Amino acid sequence: MMTDKRTDLTDLELDDLFASARTADPDPTDDFMARLFADIDDVADEFEQVALPTEERRSLLASLWAALGGWAGASGLAAAAAAGLWIGISPPASLSTVTDVIWADSVDVSLFASEDILGLEG
Amino acid sequence: MDMAFDQYDGAPDGALLVAFANGDRAAARLLAIRLTPRALGQAYRMLTDRAEAEDVVQDALMRLWKIAPEWRQGEAQVSTWLYRVVANLCTDRLRRRKRNVGIDQIAEPEDPTPSVTDRMQDDARQKALADALASLPERQAQAVALRHLEGLGNPEIAEIMEISVEAVESLTSRGKRALAAILAGRKAELGFDDDR
Repeated sequence: MMTDKRTDLTDLELDDLFASARTADPDPTDDFMARLFADIDDVADEFEQVALPTEERRSLLASLWAALGGWAGASGLAAAAAAGLWIGISPPASLSTVTDVIWADSVDVSLFASEDILGLEG
Repeated sequence: MDMAFDQYDGAPDGALLVAFANGDRAAARLLAIRLTPRALGQAYRMLTDRAEAEDVVQDALMRLWKIAPEWRQGEAQVSTWLYRVVANLCTDRLRRRKRNVGIDQIAEPEDPTPSVTDRMQDDARQKALADALASLPERQAQAVALRHLEGLGNPEIAEIMEISVEAVESLTSRGKRALAAILAGRKAELGFDDDR
């Protein structure tokens, strides 16, 4: 009778069923592991691409710094700039001689406004 | 073990994952070698389909690699996380199967005669069990699979499913009762003699 067969599985039968299922334990194949390793490389590549712009910025600054000669170059550049400023403000006598030869006349440069700013002197 | 992996001897899974986040691909490869056999077994026992089980494990590990930069060692076990993700992905697939094929339409074993070998009997039982799991509520199916197919203890299952031990006991108990009822009409093909 069909209805007789519709009884639920007993605990023992269920345990037997689970035991059968537990025997299934497939080993990963080499092909499958190769697929997983390829995924790892893909994700690692993505991580590196995300990190790259920062690296590029850093390398650009590093190149510029190297072109300036590093610390030695930068300090030399600072010294040259300071000397140029000083020469502009207070030219040494030897430099005046050179300019006299070039322009055959002396040129007075004042950092301050002329005393006769209103043009009162004849 | 491969010479390339010697430097990682004894390193916890979480440390390998953090090393991968810092650009160490070999650490992730070793982690894949460690984790894949068990994850593949878990997926296969729930799905009884090798190609699907491989897809699930590949998907789960891909998620693991992508969250590596956010992984905090000590906060969670990689193995617990993986059990959870594989279980979720498997029940997703079982649910889709259930939508596509009704439990009554599921293929009968090819040769259900008493002369089938033990191996074929195991295969038929595994298929029938996967079909039955597909018709259980998702959380019941996960709890039953983790308890009875993976052989895990209730506290570990509670951690994996992020519920209390009592809730695990309730889910597994209801799940077993439901399986017993679902499979009632298939005793003969499962090799159970109803007259004994």
